[in-house]
Amino acid sequence: MDYTVDNTSKLRVIYGDVTLGLSGPDFHYIFSYQTGGPESLCIKGREWLYRTPRPTFWRALTDNDRGSGFHLKSGMWLSADLFMQCVEIQVSVDGQSIPLPKAPENNRYKNEEYAKQVGISFLYHTITVPSTTVKVIYTVESSGKILVTAQYMGQPGLPQLPVFGMRFLIPTLASGYCYEGLSKETYPDRKAGGKKGIYHVEGLPVTPYLVPQDCGMHMDTRWVEITRTSVLDRSQKIREPFSLKITASGQDFAFSCLPYTAEELENAFHMEELPPARRTVLCIYGAVRGVGGIDSWGSDVEEAYHISGEKDICFSFQIAF
Amino acid sequence: MKAELNWLDNPEVFRVNQLPAHSDHEYYESEDACQSKTSRWKQSLNGTWKFSYSENAASRPKDFYQKDFDSSHFGEIQVPGHIELAGYDQIHYINTMYPWEGHTFRRPLGSGMKGVHREEFSGAPYNPVGSYLCRFDLNEELKGRQVRIFFEGVEQAMYVWLNGAFIGYAEDSFTPSEFDITEHLVEKGNLLAVEVHKRSTSAYLEDQDFFRFFGIFRNVTLCARPDTHIEDLWVRPKYSVADSTGVLNLDINLSGILENRKLQILVKDKETACICQSLNASRHLHVSCPFPEKVKPWDHQNPYLYQLEIRIFDENNALVELVPWKFGFRKIEIQNKTILLNGKRLIINGVNRHEWSAQRGRNISLEEMLWDMECLKRNHINAVRTCHYPNQIPWYDLCDENGIYMMAETNLESHGSWQKMQDAEPSWNVPGSMKEWEAAVLDRAKTHFEVLKNHTSILFWSLGNESYAGNVLQKMNAYYKEQDPDRLVHYEGVFHNRDYEDVISDVESQMYAPPQRVEEYLLNSPKKPFILCEYMHSMGNSAGGLGTYMHLLDKYEMYQGGFIWDYIDQALFVTDEITGKQVLRYGGDFDDRPSDYEFSCNGIVFADRREKPAMQEVNYYYGLYS
Repeated sequence: MDYTVDNTSKLRVIYGDVTLGLSGPDFHYIFSYQTGGPESLCIKGREWLYRTPRPTFWRALTDNDRGSGFHLKSGMWLSADLFMQCVEIQVSVDGQSIPLPKAPENNRYKNEEYAKQVGISFLYHTITVPSTTVKVIYTVESSGKILVTAQYMGQPGLPQLPVFGMRFLIPTLASGYCYEGLSKETYPDRKAGGKKGIYHVEGLPVTPYLVPQDCGMHMDTRWVEITRTSVLDRSQKIREPFSLKITASGQDFAFSCLPYTAEELENAFHMEELPPARRTVLCIYGAVRGVGGIDSWGSDVEEAYHISGEKDICFSFQIAF
Repeated sequence: MKAELNWLDNPEVFRVNQLPAHSDHEYYESEDACQSKTSRWKQSLNGTWKFSYSENAASRPKDFYQKDFDSSHFGEIQVPGHIELAGYDQIHYINTMYPWEGHTFRRPLGSGMKGVHREEFSGAPYNPVGSYLCRFDLNEELKGRQVRIFFEGVEQAMYVWLNGAFIGYAEDSFTPSEFDITEHLVEKGNLLAVEVHKRSTSAYLEDQDFFRFFGIFRNVTLCARPDTHIEDLWVRPKYSVADSTGVLNLDINLSGILENRKLQILVKDKETACICQSLNASRHLHVSCPFPEKVKPWDHQNPYLYQLEIRIFDENNALVELVPWKFGFRKIEIQNKTILLNGKRLIINGVNRHEWSAQRGRNISLEEMLWDMECLKRNHINAVRTCHYPNQIPWYDLCDENGIYMMAETNLESHGSWQKMQDAEPSWNVPGSMKEWEAAVLDRAKTHFEVLKNHTSILFWSLGNESYAGNVLQKMNAYYKEQDPDRLVHYEGVFHNRDYEDVISDVESQMYAPPQRVEEYLLNSPKKPFILCEYMHSMGNSAGGLGTYMHLLDKYEMYQGGFIWDYIDQALFVTDEITGKQVLRYGGDFDDRPSDYEFSCNGIVFADRREKPAMQEVNYYYGLYS
């Protein structure tokens, strides 16, 4: 064995039968061929995923969306948001594409495998008519940094999108978050008043619109850091704050960090009908539809703030700690 | 005189024995009273009254006003307040549809239609009645004087008795109703009886998009009159933009003793007296006082007010009455089809404001008004439209003091009569050109004008909201122009009936026009300056695209801004049946049908007076253009 190689600066790769494990001194990630994406992002012993992250297409309808009949035209994005299939997975190691290392292809590996960089991509089919694809590529560095790139393929005939982004379900409620971007809740057509700065938000406030609807959007964000103090692992007794940071790679992103999914918000007539807050739903968006305001019974959002379903959308961000 | 129940059904009966409307000035017995703003001549009757609820007129306790009536079975109610919020009648929210939609078929008198019914309100199986009883002793200072009873707001029709004697009848829910009760008053053990009907023909005129309440929802006060009293005051400051000079014109109507009574008129700026004049009392006085120095104009940035004090002295030089009034010098006019305030183009960074409290409905407190005023100021909102009815009087004082431009709106909204599922369908329209409705509507304009005419902040009289256009609205327009040529008249309804364009409204007013439609008007030989009396419908998560409207201000001199719809969500706090928590509820949450559900929640502040996130955008753009 060559003992001159410093394996501590490399990623350890665990070529599992069903998953691909990637670990370093402070982190351990598991990408699953079965769930079609990352199943575990464990950093300094704390888990950050409750379920595999997915591309997201839906935001809870605003009153203006309802009034203009947006849902009647674009409603298929709601089901596309809820249900999707991962149809293809590709893995590359140090820039080299390799055959998908699931069983029995992985029989060639051993317990000690290392790499500088591993890429794994997941291709999703939407259940829209016509269907289209979203490719999400995770590129993991030896430092544990993950570059996430999400590519939406535009398709003629697809209706406008409410949003396009990635949704992360985080196991427990965050104690708050910090971000560099615009003050307060902003949208593409309502952000001129947002002041640039670094802001701390305590807890996960849901804007108490009378009928729960999409809220808590933060446009033009450079980074956001989510802080938690609790985990689901009952053997861990220490309750010290720990954080995860998402940083824009290239273009700034938009995000919302709420205790609910779009579907949970969509389902309530009143704030008090929302379920008890128990989880963190972090959505990182590459495209967001405006909220509009001309009226609430027919006028559309101004054209500049539509998201065409027929054009490609691509954006990326980095996950680090 | 006997009270007749069928007044409810007759649009031509809307005020019986009411005193003529007059200016809303306060009056005091002494310098100290004036300083502390508490007159011993006033006695509030607010408090816990006895109350009985009936579902219709037939089942009401008809004799409840009689002195020997046994009211031991009556319940209690807080006055002021809405009867529905006291738990006596169903809470109901509905927008354009008349509140009887799907329950009762009605067509208004004068429409000539088959559905007209002679006893449509007095004989209705559902038209609730609130029977109020209040026992009171007269305060010392009121004894032996002429005393009036002053109802600041009662929805929608009211009969009043005192000690068994009929006093009068009133409609027009949002302006004061005042009656002279001297003749029937005793020092101790008075029995005041007020019978309030949920609906009368006035319901056709009061179809505002809000929770449909009834009852005595504003203050009730006894007001004693001094020997000599200023009944009505018209303060008309004239400001000359060219040379910054000012002339104060006063018209004073006196009642009571005139002989050997002198008036002293004093005007002070913030530091010193600038005018002092004495004259002998007479029934009508006209005084014109040119200011010796240049005057400071009033506007949003610098709402400079002068203090007028009128003192009446008797033959021994003892003070009989002291009337203070604050006024500002400003000039509102249209030149070259552009609205100018003090010679400069007016920009309206406005908001429509309903009076709303999540706890008490439209019975809002002074604290809530003060909060609202601070909210307007910190967010650079410079104008308010009192949608769609006159507000509590202190709000007008606050607007004077804080330089808020007011579009004062008459209590009129009849969109249920011509707007059907968003389509203009005027096959019948109240008031339209129907003679039967003319006097009632014109009386609303008159009361509105007479009560509020002295408020510097009022730049526009607005004829009402969404009532289409016909001869009655035309006459209303003429009334305001004739009474008050120094202010502008606003009305949006001609947009739907251009036949009246040249005789109604000094401004082109539209609502919810997309920016392109505003431009279309302004690019095609526009006749009038353009205002959006409602825009940026802030329902839920909204107010996107404000910038596009604001940029029109740079492009078109004749575009003069607008009023955001609207200021505050109308939702009610209730205790949640499941969690026991205080939660906000809206239309349809009270089994009320038909309803327009959450459509009452379009504010830039939440119903519990927290700013919505959209306020950040309003603050930015209104600040940029202020």
